[in-house]
Amino acid sequence: MLELRLVQGSLLKKVLEAIKELVTDANFDCSSTGFSLQAMDSSHVALVALLLRSEGFEHYRCDRNISMGMNLNNMAKMLKCAGNDDIITIKADDGSDTVTFMFESPTQDKISDFEMKLMDIDSEHLGIPEAEYHAIVRMPSTEFARICKDLSSIGDTVVISVTKEGVKFSTKGDIGAANIVCRQNTSVDKPEEATVIEMNDPVSLSFALRYMNSFTKATPLSSTVTISLSNELPVVVEYKIAEMGYVRFYLAPKIEEEEEESKPQA
Amino acid sequence: MKTLLQHGTLIRYLSQGVEDITIAYLPRCSSSAVTSFPFHFSCEFVFRYTTQMGIKGLTKLLADNAPKSMKENKFESYFGRKIAIDASMSIYQFLIVVGRSGTEMLTNEAGEVTSHLQGMFNRTIRLLESGMKPVYVFDGKPPDLKKQELAKRLSRRAEATEDLSAALQTANKEEIEKFSKRTVKVTQQHNEDCKRLLRLMGVPVVEAPSEAEAQCAALCKAGKVYAVASEDMDSLTFGAPKFLRHLMDPSSKKIPVMEFEVDKILEELSLTMDQFIDLCILSGCDYCDSIRGIGGQTALKLIRQHGSIENILENINRERYQIPDDWPYQEARRLFKEPMVITDEEELNIKWSAPDEEGLITFLVNENGFNNDRVTKAIEKIKAAKNKSSQGRLESFFKPAANASVPIKRKESKCMLRSFKPEIEHKMFSLQLSNWSRPMVFGKLSLPIYNLGSKLCAFV
Repeated sequence: MLELRLVQGSLLKKVLEAIKELVTDANFDCSSTGFSLQAMDSSHVALVALLLRSEGFEHYRCDRNISMGMNLNNMAKMLKCAGNDDIITIKADDGSDTVTFMFESPTQDKISDFEMKLMDIDSEHLGIPEAEYHAIVRMPSTEFARICKDLSSIGDTVVISVTKEGVKFSTKGDIGAANIVCRQNTSVDKPEEATVIEMNDPVSLSFALRYMNSFTKATPLSSTVTISLSNELPVVVEYKIAEMGYVRFYLAPKIEEEEEESKPQA
Repeated sequence: MKTLLQHGTLIRYLSQGVEDITIAYLPRCSSSAVTSFPFHFSCEFVFRYTTQMGIKGLTKLLADNAPKSMKENKFESYFGRKIAIDASMSIYQFLIVVGRSGTEMLTNEAGEVTSHLQGMFNRTIRLLESGMKPVYVFDGKPPDLKKQELAKRLSRRAEATEDLSAALQTANKEEIEKFSKRTVKVTQQHNEDCKRLLRLMGVPVVEAPSEAEAQCAALCKAGKVYAVASEDMDSLTFGAPKFLRHLMDPSSKKIPVMEFEVDKILEELSLTMDQFIDLCILSGCDYCDSIRGIGGQTALKLIRQHGSIENILENINRERYQIPDDWPYQEARRLFKEPMVITDEEELNIKWSAPDEEGLITFLVNENGFNNDRVTKAIEKIKAAKNKSSQGRLESFFKPAANASVPIKRKESKCMLRSFKPEIEHKMFSLQLSNWSRPMVFGKLSLPIYNLGSKLCAFV
C-alpha cells in the first residue's frame, strides 16, 4: 500500500518536465525515507537521480520498499491534467499493475482520479560514490540555462574550466568560437543571484551541450544550480528542491582518445 | 497464399510449411492499420536460413531454461562500445535483402552485384552514428569437419539453381523470387570488396585464420571488444562472454538487441563450459550430425544426468537412439574449445581511423556507380560520428549496484511463445523476453530477414 500526498502538486509536474526528455521509461522507488528515481538515458551517457524526501509530503505512507515502472511521457501527460494549485496524491495497492494520481483542487470542489498502467522495466542501478569534487560552482539557474542555450548555437561541445579567475564555458563550431567567463560575485541583493566558486584544484572538462541543454529543463525547480566538477569524473548538475530533495544530473565527460590517425591502407 | 493473420495463427502456418505470407499486425483498437503493414517474405526461406546456422534450437532452449541469461537492450545503449561482427553472415544477409527484385540485383555498370557494398556501407554508418566501434571479422578456411555441412549447402544451392531455371521458364514470379534467393552465395570477391570498403571507411578488419565466430569470441574473451554481434548461436559455444543478436537488423524494424551472457547461461543451467559445449554438440552443430531423437531439451537432461558425451554414450539406450557410425564429437569439441584464432596484438591491429574520402569516392562512385552526393553526405556522417565516439559512458565511472526495491507489479510469464509449444517448429524463432504491458507487436517474433520490397534499394 502506497499513499503519498503532495500539497505543492506543481512540483511533481515540474520534476516530470525536467526529466522526461532525458529518460523515457523509469522505475520510481519508494521507501520509508522518500520517493526517488535513478535512470540513465538510452545511450548510458547521462543519469538522472531524483529524491523527494518523505518529510516534504503532507502524508506519506509506504509499507515496504517498492518500485513502480512508468513511462514518463505518459505520466507527464496525466500530470498535465492537474492544475498548478492542485494537491496531488499518488496511490498504488500491493500487487496492482496500476498507479493512481489523484488531483484535488485547492477549494476541494473538484477531485480527479487518473489511473496509469505500470510497466516492467529492467533497469540497472548504478552505485554513485560520494566524492570530493575539485571544483563546485553555484550560480543562478537561469544564467546557466542561458549559457548552454547560447553556446549550443555555436558548437556541440562545451569545455567547462574552473580556475582562480572564475568559471569559463567555451565552445567551437563551424562558424567560429565562443567563451563565457563568470566570475565569483557575492555582492548581490538576493543570495540566489550570487555566483559562488569553490575550487580545490583547477579543472577542465568537455561535455556534450545536447545533454546540458536537456538538464536545464529543470530550471523552474530551483533558482540556483550547483555544478560539481572533478577531472575524470562525470559532472553533477544539481537543482535543489526546497525542503524536499533534489534532481541531480550526471554526465560522462568527453574523452580525448589517443588514436593514431594512420592513413587507411586499401 | 496471401492472407491476414493474427499472431498465433502465423506460427501455425509457418510450422505447416505455408510458403508465402503477408503479415499484418493489428493494433487492438484500430482496424484501419491493417493495410499499413507492408511485410512480406517467404517462410520456407526463413526456415532454411535459420535452421542452418549454428546450434539448433539453442535460443529456445535458453529462453526456457535460462531466461535470465538473455536481456533486451535498446540499440542506442551500445553507445561507445567496441563490437566484433561476423562479416560473412552480414554480407550474406545483404546479398539477400538489399536491392533485390526477382533475379535482378543491384549492380554497377559492369553488371557486378553491389548489394553487399550498399548494405555494408549503410549499416556500418548506422553503427558508427550511434557511437559504436565495429570490428569486422571475416571467415578464413573452414575446418575440415564443416566441409560436410558446406557440401550440403552447396547441393541445396545447386537444386535451387535448377528450380530457378525451371521457374524462369514458366515465368512464375513468386517461384523465381524464392529460388533466386536460395542461390545466393558469398564469393571471395564479395568478401574482398567489403574488406576494401571497410578499410576505406577507417573500420578495422580482422581476417580469421578459420571460423569468424571463433575469432570474434576470442576478441571478446581478450577484452578487445565488449561483445560479439552475429545471428549465429555458435558464438556462445565458442565462449564469447557477451553475444548480441539483431544488432545489424535495420532500424525500421525496431527490434531490440538481444544480449546473451555466457556466465549467466552456465550459472542458470548449472553446467560447466565443457558441459555446455557438449550440450551444443548434442543439440546439433555445424561440425557433426546430432543423434536422431535427441533435441535440445533431451540433450540438456542427458548432460545434467551424465555430465559428458562419453558418459551419455555409455549409459544411453542404444536401441532407442541410433548413434551415427562415424560421429566425430571429440573433434567438434576440440574445434569449439581450441579454435584456430589470432591473438597476437600486432597481427590483429585493431584501430579505428579517419575515412579515406578520395578512396571512398573512387571505389563507390567511380567503380561501382553509387550516387556521388549520397556518398559525400555519408562520408560527412562518418566524420561526425568519429567526433561523437569520444563521449564516455557512465558505466566507466559508476559500477552497478543492487536496488533494494521490489516491483509492485507481479511479474508475469515472460516468454510469450511458450504457450504454443506443442505445435511449433521452434528452430526459427528467437524467443524474446516480452513485456505484456506493451502492446504485442509482431516484431517480437524476429525473423532474420527483412524488407523484401520490390523497389530497388534507395540509398541511405
